[in-house]
Order: sequence, then C-alpha cells, then structure tokens
Amino acid sequence: MKKKILVVDDEYNIRLLLKEELTDEGYDVVLAENGAAALRMIQEEKPDLVTLDIKMPGEDGLSVLRKIRETEYDLPVIICSAYSVYKSDFSAIAADHYVVKSSNFDDLKKKIREILSCKE
Amino acid sequence: MSSSDYSAGSGMSALDEEASQRIAQTGKADIIIGIPSYNNADSIGQVIKAAELGLAKYFPRFKGIILISEGGDIERTRAAVDALHDKQYFENAFVSRPSSDTEIFVTKYRGASGKGTAIKAIFEAGRSLNVKAGCMLDSDLRSISPEWIELLISPVLLKDFGFVTPYYSRHKYDGTITNMIAYPVTWALYGRRVRQPIGGDFGFSLQLMESLLAKDVWGTDIARFGIDIWMTTVAICEKFKICQSFLGAKIHDDKDPGKDLSPMFTQVVGTIFSLMDIYSDTWLRVKGSRPTAIFGFESEVAPKPLNVDVDNLISKFQTGVETYMPVWRQVLEPENCDKLREVARLDSLHFELPIELWIKCLYDFAFAYAKLMDGLSAKEIIEALVPIYYAKIASFVSKTQNLDSHQAEEAINQQCVAFEKLKPYLINRWSSE
Repeated sequence: MKKKILVVDDEYNIRLLLKEELTDEGYDVVLAENGAAALRMIQEEKPDLVTLDIKMPGEDGLSVLRKIRETEYDLPVIICSAYSVYKSDFSAIAADHYVVKSSNFDDLKKKIREILSCKE
Repeated sequence: MSSSDYSAGSGMSALDEEASQRIAQTGKADIIIGIPSYNNADSIGQVIKAAELGLAKYFPRFKGIILISEGGDIERTRAAVDALHDKQYFENAFVSRPSSDTEIFVTKYRGASGKGTAIKAIFEAGRSLNVKAGCMLDSDLRSISPEWIELLISPVLLKDFGFVTPYYSRHKYDGTITNMIAYPVTWALYGRRVRQPIGGDFGFSLQLMESLLAKDVWGTDIARFGIDIWMTTVAICEKFKICQSFLGAKIHDDKDPGKDLSPMFTQVVGTIFSLMDIYSDTWLRVKGSRPTAIFGFESEVAPKPLNVDVDNLISKFQTGVETYMPVWRQVLEPENCDKLREVARLDSLHFELPIELWIKCLYDFAFAYAKLMDGLSAKEIIEALVPIYYAKIASFVSKTQNLDSHQAEEAINQQCVAFEKLKPYLINRWSSE
C-alpha cells in the first residue's frame, strides 16, 4: 500500500511542486494550506509522514508541530522551510528532520525514504 | 543480573516506619515533589521554596506534598526546613499562600546508600499516596524557579505523558558524560533523541513509578548514580510517552572532567552497558531515531563558563595507553587498538580522536562489559575506558573552542548521527557472540 504524505505549505506553487515530486516517488500526497487544515487532515487522512512549512499565516509551523506532538506522538514530521534560522529554535527539536527548501528536493526525498523505511 | 532477577520486584521498603506512618496518615495526594538529598542543607531551602511556590501558583486545586529523602545528616536538613517557617517568600513572589501549608516530610531512607535508594523512598511514598503525577528535583540546584514545577508536572497531568525529561541550557563543556556517552547512546541504540537522559530533575506518572518500583535493581549500582539513565531507558523501552521541558540554565557544582571524575562515571557508564544487555532484544530491533516532544519557553541564557584543562586530559590519555594497553588488547578490535596508539603520538596542537574511533571503542567496551569477556571484571573494564574518554573530551574541546553554544550543540548532534550510522558495528559484534 502506498505511503501517504501530508504536505503543509501556505504557498500554492510549493504545494503543487511537492505533490508532483512526491507522487513521482510513489507516495500518495495530500495537501494543507495552513496549520488548522493540517491538524484536521492529520485526523482525517492519517498520513504516514508530514512535511511542514514554518512561516505561514495564522498558526506557524512550530506551533503546529507542538500540537502534533501532543496527540500524534509518533507521527514523523519533517520541517521544510525556506529559512535555516529556525533550526536553532528549540521547538524544532521535536521534528524528525529539518530541510531548507531549495529547487532540489533530493535531500527531502532522501529523508522521507529513510524515515519511512525505519517505520516498516 | 539475569532478566528474571531484573523483573522480580524489590524487597525491603526504603521508607522507615515513621515515614510510612506519616504517609498513611496523609492518605491521598495528587502531586508528590521528591528531593533526594545528601547533606545539602545549605542549598535545599531554595529548592523547597521553589517547590512550594510552584505548587501554590500552578496547582492550587491539587493536594501536593514535598518529600525530602535524605541519605546524610537528617537533623541539618530538618533545620533547613524549619528555617522556612515564616513563609515570607510567598509574599515576596506575589503568590497567594494556600489555606493550609503544603506538607513537607523529611525522611532518612533505608537501604543501599545512594541517589537511587533516595528516589525509591519517594516513589514508594508516591505510590502509597496514589498521586497522579510527581517530579524529582536535585537538592543542590541554584537556578531553580517555581516554573520548573509547572513544566515538569503539567505534561503528565494535562497531556498524559509518562516521563518528562529536562532540557537545560548548559555550557558546551558541562555534562560531558551526557554529551559524549549518555545522549548519543540513547539516540543511537534506543532510537529516541532525549537531550538530557541523566538530568536529575524530571516529571513522572503514577504508572511509570509503579513500573520502576517493580524492578529489582535497587540494591545494585543503579541505585546510585545510574538511576537517571536507568529510568530514561526503562521509559523508552517500555513505551512510556516521553517529552522534554525547557527549564533554562542548570547551575550546579560543575567540575573539570579531567580533574574530578567521580564514581558517577563508573556508575552511569556501567549502568548504560548493563542496560544494553538487559534491553538487547529492544535496541537490536530499533531502526533510525525519533525526536522527542518539547515544552516550555526558550529564553537566551548564558550558562556559567567552564574551563577544561586539555593538556591534562591528553597527558592522562597518553599515560593510560601504556597502563591499560593489556586490557585494551582484550577488549578492543585490533585495528582500534593500533589507531589509539597512533593518536597517543599526536602533540596537543594536532591532537584528535576521530569520532568513528571513539564510537567503535565505546561499542567494543560495551560489548566487553555486557559479556564480561576474558575474565575481566566490570570495574577493570570501565577503568580502562577512562583514558579514551579523556581523549574524546580533549578532542571535542579543541574542536569546539571557537564555536558558540548553538554551533557546539550542532556538533554534538552530528556525533549522535555518527553513533547511529555505526550501530551496525555494534550489532555485528553482539551477534557474533
């Protein structure tokens, strides 16, 4: 069965691009445009992994991450942010990995493969 | 220790008759705050004040008790408690004094002398009182605030966590046993990234307390300094929900690791190695590593700087090469032994113990300790590891002296990743038995 990934990002183009890239990798991809939608979809869609942007309107990614960890203790989360500065924020420790966005998604895809293979 | 002994349950209570009676009279409480102590009368008052204020400020509707489990001079500790009788600190901190004061018990624990037995007495009291949650505080803390109580208790009471480990802001050279051994081994073997697995301040649920009390380890080295890493490892391996709480700076009596390697090293590292044997079925199956939830509010704090005498550490390593080579030849893989000889020839300017070599040596020692190979005693094995540990600290200090705390933290995390990558080396050794 295909693994399901929830992509959380407020930028429409990034969501689409990630959906395309990860679908090509053989994953089932669902999308959320903000923190509230992400938390709802985690309950509804039961993804195997979440990629999470930090800078989003409304609730930011680190706050969403804290809420995820309270309820979905073992759900893998990869922070995928354009900014490396948040890496030193202690809240980011609760993520499995931190990937700085670039035009090349190889690092992200590699981390996703690693994490999902450990879960098998 | 055989696995049947391990789960056989403990014998004699660590609470004496008088303490048991007082707890029975109290009947029921919601929260227990335990303070293991050994002649800390000079500093314990501050910890008790923070505990009382924390309970009153953050848990006014809950019944809390404070239990000081003393291993030394109980009269001096009682005097330190009595000195707090005017409770002036409530007014000074703008915290409403509760209608009835929190009960503060001071008891001299029974059993093997050490922190573990002190903790056992507190757990037994917590179980008798059927508390919902509890926390443990070191008695020599100077940086504690009432907020610590909220941060250690709330995840258990409000969010169903079983174990709350501390997350401190520490100087990059403080906590070397944690940074070089306990943190990376917990990360790599048990797959859980817990930054302070031997932090002395932690929160716990009733269920975890009961599970820990049911293990028969209380007469062993674990009942001394090994207690903290044992609790963390049990919590991970027995699937308790674990989180971390950011507590700010930890100010305590820090020491240069090259000048004062207390029995703590033997007991902590010995416990880590023993646990690898007990929980081998678990860690051999674990793949990768997972982060741990974190609560609290991060503030920039500058921990007290700690100076390390690198030349002294290198010198001790170089002396140790000759002294311990016969043991190393028995414990280490031959190529690791040869590489250590090469490292010993480096001068202090170029001194470096490669991370891969350190990890392989540590894994070799863990294997030798767990299997007590070639007739070596546990004590002989740990003693022979010390010079290599000194070399590792010297190497780390030299490499990170120009790094700020965030960069040093990143370097420590990179080491953990290296431990995880080299885990197959340990698995191969373990499986070759």
